[in-house]
Amino acid sequence: MIVKSRFSRPRFRMSRPPSGPARWSFWLDMGMMMIWGILLFKYWLSGQILFLLHPDYVWLTIATGIILLAMVGFKIMQRWERKQRSPLGNPTTSLQHLSLLPRGWSSTLLLLIGILGLLYTPRPFASDIALQRGVADTVAVTRSQPQAFRAQVRPQDKSIVDWVRTLNVYPEPDAYMEQPVDVVGFMIHPPNLPDDYGMISRFILTCCAADAYPVGLPVKLTGDRSDYPADQWFRVKGEMATAELNGDRRLTVLAQDIESVETPRNPYNY
Amino acid sequence: MAQWSNALTLFFSLLVEAMPFLLLGVLLSSVLLIFVDERRLISSMPQHPLLGALAGGLFGFLFPVCECGNVPVARRLLVKGAPAPVAIGFLLAAPTINPVVMWATWTAFRDQPSIVFLRLGFSLFIATIIGWVFSSQADLRPLLQPSVANAVVPPSTSLLQSGTFILGGTGQSLSRFDTSGIVIARPPVMTAWWHRLPLMIDNMIQELRELGGMLILGSAIASIIQVGIPRDVIISLGQGPVMSIIAMMVLAAVVSICSTVDSFFALAFASTFTSGSLLAFLIFGPMIDVKNIGLLFSVFRGRAIAYLFALAAQLTFLLTVIVNLYAS
Repeated sequence: MIVKSRFSRPRFRMSRPPSGPARWSFWLDMGMMMIWGILLFKYWLSGQILFLLHPDYVWLTIATGIILLAMVGFKIMQRWERKQRSPLGNPTTSLQHLSLLPRGWSSTLLLLIGILGLLYTPRPFASDIALQRGVADTVAVTRSQPQAFRAQVRPQDKSIVDWVRTLNVYPEPDAYMEQPVDVVGFMIHPPNLPDDYGMISRFILTCCAADAYPVGLPVKLTGDRSDYPADQWFRVKGEMATAELNGDRRLTVLAQDIESVETPRNPYNY
Repeated sequence: MAQWSNALTLFFSLLVEAMPFLLLGVLLSSVLLIFVDERRLISSMPQHPLLGALAGGLFGFLFPVCECGNVPVARRLLVKGAPAPVAIGFLLAAPTINPVVMWATWTAFRDQPSIVFLRLGFSLFIATIIGWVFSSQADLRPLLQPSVANAVVPPSTSLLQSGTFILGGTGQSLSRFDTSGIVIARPPVMTAWWHRLPLMIDNMIQELRELGGMLILGSAIASIIQVGIPRDVIISLGQGPVMSIIAMMVLAAVVSICSTVDSFFALAFASTFTSGSLLAFLIFGPMIDVKNIGLLFSVFRGRAIAYLFALAAQLTFLLTVIVNLYAS
């Protein structure tokens, strides 16, 4: 791979060093960082952050908001001090950085998306995403293994995720027959289940909403599933049974009492 | 309507998760740009091509920059006389082999630690091999853009160097500019650290702005693909051991998402794509992508970029196919 030298002799040409940023560019950057700082605080203070992130990483978001707002404060103070010293202005030193987007586009894009974030209220994922991603009553092999698996938990204290993890470890449905069930989740109407069946479900999050995946248990309802609208949250009490669904024998909740409940503050499990 | 709402939630989830890592990346990159003198490091680099390439790859621990920040650093290394294997090893491995990217990858894939370790191992291996291949070209200048080639400090010659010299600003330091006006060599600033702080924050804002724009584009594409494309199509594409790798390598090259946050992007495909294809995305993207090619043209001639691209693509494909066929 030896290549002969062909580079030209030095060309002597006057060139200008990079100039300082324009005033509008400064305020665009400040606006962009301020909006993002405020947006991160809004997510945290309103609790909406839990619709987006695993709680372990919320502190990172708060720290980022603080740093962004501190940088804005520092730059504005620095500019004000400079103006006091030299009213004609004193351009800041600009280090050359190479980028793909034209100057000003990135800041404008970030600013507009930040404003959109302030206007838009994120909502937790519901049955449409669950059906699109494929709701399962087992945890796929590629997914996280439980960090705290408690086999000694009483059946009626198990959440949907506990049941799914238990089933993952020992998948024989008969082993759980007639065990009491008391779970909270949102209702899904899978098209491949009969009309008197629904699926009580939760999303599990490892990192952020991007990797949320749904798990659920089939429920034999008392009546037609149209009485239990999709996406609404329910507390289902009953006992475990088995049922033949789509040719598979599956663990199913025989519902004895289904009551509508408020959407929990933190709708995801981990 | 619900589709849009889900896409927006997903989009902001990716942005909010990635933003802290982006900020940390630009903070460390700026600290090093302003406070560290690379020339001292270059002088202590091993002369053996293989060891040099390996050392260059591990340089990322000292310069935790993503692929947008590493091109200017690699350029500075070349100009200051770093051997070719060191510079190439750094160029290809530094965006992955650095603490910020390692932490971000661990955060995203902590339930699949093999992805984290294989990403690091394969990236370092590929960078070292390509750096070693480039060591056969003793004088790298024919492969560089003329403006950079002219500025390179040859190992032992040349008292006079070309370019425009500006005696400027505070401290009366001598800076060199190439014909396009880009700073290619700047002596370390010898002022107290608190005087350098404003310069560091300026650089942070500049990088945050530019990389943040790319992050937004990447997150938008990931959200639209996840919500907009039917699951059947994604699964049929993502489950083939070979097809999934090609699809993710093309996606990595097109999306050009910053390596500091690309793990979160890949995470969005974790349930539908093979492990090998996720690895291919995480290894190949930081080495070569559309955005990066634009930046690489500021340093290398087209021929050198074609060599880099071909070698990186083939090695990534080979290693990740092995993972798909024999390890999963």
